[in-house]
Amino acid sequence: MKNRVLKQALPSVLKMLKAYPVILILIVFFVGFTVAFPNRFMAPVNVSAMMRQFVMLMLFSAGPSMVMTTGSMDLSYVGIWMLGGIFVWLLYPLIGLAAILAMPLLGLLTGFMIGMIQAKARIPSFILTISIMFTYWGLTAMLSGGYPRTLNAYAFLTAKLIPGIPTEVLWTIPILVVAILLMKRTTLGTYFYAIGSNEEGAHMAGINVTRYKILAFTISGFFTGIGSIILFQHLGGSVPVELNLNTMNWPLVAIILGGTPLMGGSGGPQRTILGALTLTVLVRGLNIAMLEPEAIQLLVGLMLIASIVVGARSQNKGGMEVA
Amino acid sequence: MMNRALAGKRTSFGAWVGKNSTSIMPVAVILVMVFVFQMINPFYLQYQGIVSLLYSMSYFLIVACGLTFVIMMGSFDFSVVSVLKFSALLCVIYIEKIGLWVVPLAMVVSILFGLVNGLIFTKLKVPSFLATLGVSIVIEGIALIMSKGFLRMMENEIFRSLSVTFILGLPSIFFWAIAVVIVCTLVSFLTPFGRRIFAIGANAAAAAHSGINVTKNRIAAFMLSSFLAGFAGILYMAQMGGGSMAIGADMTIPLFASVVAGGTTLSGGVGGPHRTLLGVMIITWMQTGLLMLGIGKDVQVVVFGCIAIIMSIFTTERRKIKIVK
Repeated sequence: MKNRVLKQALPSVLKMLKAYPVILILIVFFVGFTVAFPNRFMAPVNVSAMMRQFVMLMLFSAGPSMVMTTGSMDLSYVGIWMLGGIFVWLLYPLIGLAAILAMPLLGLLTGFMIGMIQAKARIPSFILTISIMFTYWGLTAMLSGGYPRTLNAYAFLTAKLIPGIPTEVLWTIPILVVAILLMKRTTLGTYFYAIGSNEEGAHMAGINVTRYKILAFTISGFFTGIGSIILFQHLGGSVPVELNLNTMNWPLVAIILGGTPLMGGSGGPQRTILGALTLTVLVRGLNIAMLEPEAIQLLVGLMLIASIVVGARSQNKGGMEVA
Repeated sequence: MMNRALAGKRTSFGAWVGKNSTSIMPVAVILVMVFVFQMINPFYLQYQGIVSLLYSMSYFLIVACGLTFVIMMGSFDFSVVSVLKFSALLCVIYIEKIGLWVVPLAMVVSILFGLVNGLIFTKLKVPSFLATLGVSIVIEGIALIMSKGFLRMMENEIFRSLSVTFILGLPSIFFWAIAVVIVCTLVSFLTPFGRRIFAIGANAAAAAHSGINVTKNRIAAFMLSSFLAGFAGILYMAQMGGGSMAIGADMTIPLFASVVAGGTTLSGGVGGPHRTLLGVMIITWMQTGLLMLGIGKDVQVVVFGCIAIIMSIFTTERRKIKIVK
């Protein structure tokens, strides 16, 4: 009896592991850290810290992971969050609570602008979005005068609802559900996957590739803008003016670790959840292990290279030309 | 009769301008910029001002030359700034232990980083910007472990004389940089290697079909780019006399902007190190000019970000690209 259940369950488990190899890494890390630091890894303090880290990674990477399915990249998220924050701080005395709408609006406009430039002027999205991120950071520093600005008017957004679970996590769930439904249940998502797996084929099949690429960037910017609202309070309601280049790439690592291939065509937000979880467990575990903070960065970098290489190899069987 | 001759002259002048617009534009921009800065700030072109202009452009120019080869080839190297930082820190940390041997050591290590970049890019088929991004995170990690995040001072005078000896009233780092530009330009136009790089940038598949070993030349270009970044790091340390992890913190965007502003296109196959010289002059002289006027880093980042985006929109050859990712 037991044997038969095993026989039936095993293939499907193997299949799932083959489709989502990152689950294995996640389990190994999780079990490893739990065994190594039984009292500290699962302590409430650390669990809540992990949830907070996960929220940050997830809200930054939800939109860009949709762009990634079309084969492009969106690294402007940090810029949208910073500049959006300073707009909120500037507008709050003028228009009150509605000022927070500056963030999704900025995200929407930025995404549209990136999409237009990328699709019409044909600039590689990676370089374009990094330039925009730096430009936004410069604008933030200009508008803030170089000081961190705090605003506590939106504290109600993250007021405690359920003990033990940060309210930010509750906010993240509907955002993720919408993102996943958009990718899995709408024609839009299907078109994104089609463009990612074969852009020329999608064009031949009558999909307006340019329009859907612009749409992908716009949606990504909008999601980042919505996420920034929650992150604004999550990180103390303050506008950051210093760009931390080391942690800036972590959402990107989460996307790639989750298994969305660089060339697009599959993956999406649902996979990024796994990537963000894995990265969170890794980073928090390493923090507890009392390693030097420098070593954590090195390991995250190695993790990124490893996941890029695995992702690129599993996909690029046709000997596609990469630049 | 005369009218006709004039008209003929005008059209030929117009044609000449049109043909060379990518070279004339940067020169015109430089002239206008220098004129404007000189008008606002009379110290801009005095001897001290010129020396600081040369100091600010020299190490920058060396890195940009290396990056030009990679961009000419249609790829991107994100790790040059990290390699520069690493090699500078390597010099300052180990000079007490092994003396001037740090110079060749830093060069060898830089070349090895380039080799790693090239191998990950070509053999594992990873897009170059991501491969180099990953490598640069790792390099930063090693540099942080090595330096412990402290500010280090360079006290070896012989090492410092690499950059700060004055020849004919100009700092020696400037002559290093000019030598690098001349050699790079000659390499890119007169040697088979340079021609192969242009061919790969113009059309990698066609280059492979015509018998060019694309993989080997790509790896070589990444090694060259990393080597020059490492060399610039050595000279940077000799010039500045100290540094911490903050070295090169906001160099990425100005570097990219200067290569593109010179006229080397992101789509590959067009441009060259001599063009980058002009781009670097635009960017670093603007940087220094703004600094002299007391205009801060934040404004500069915005300006350079906009230059980078606008110039890449203008220079990219859209006919050639079918799919852009």
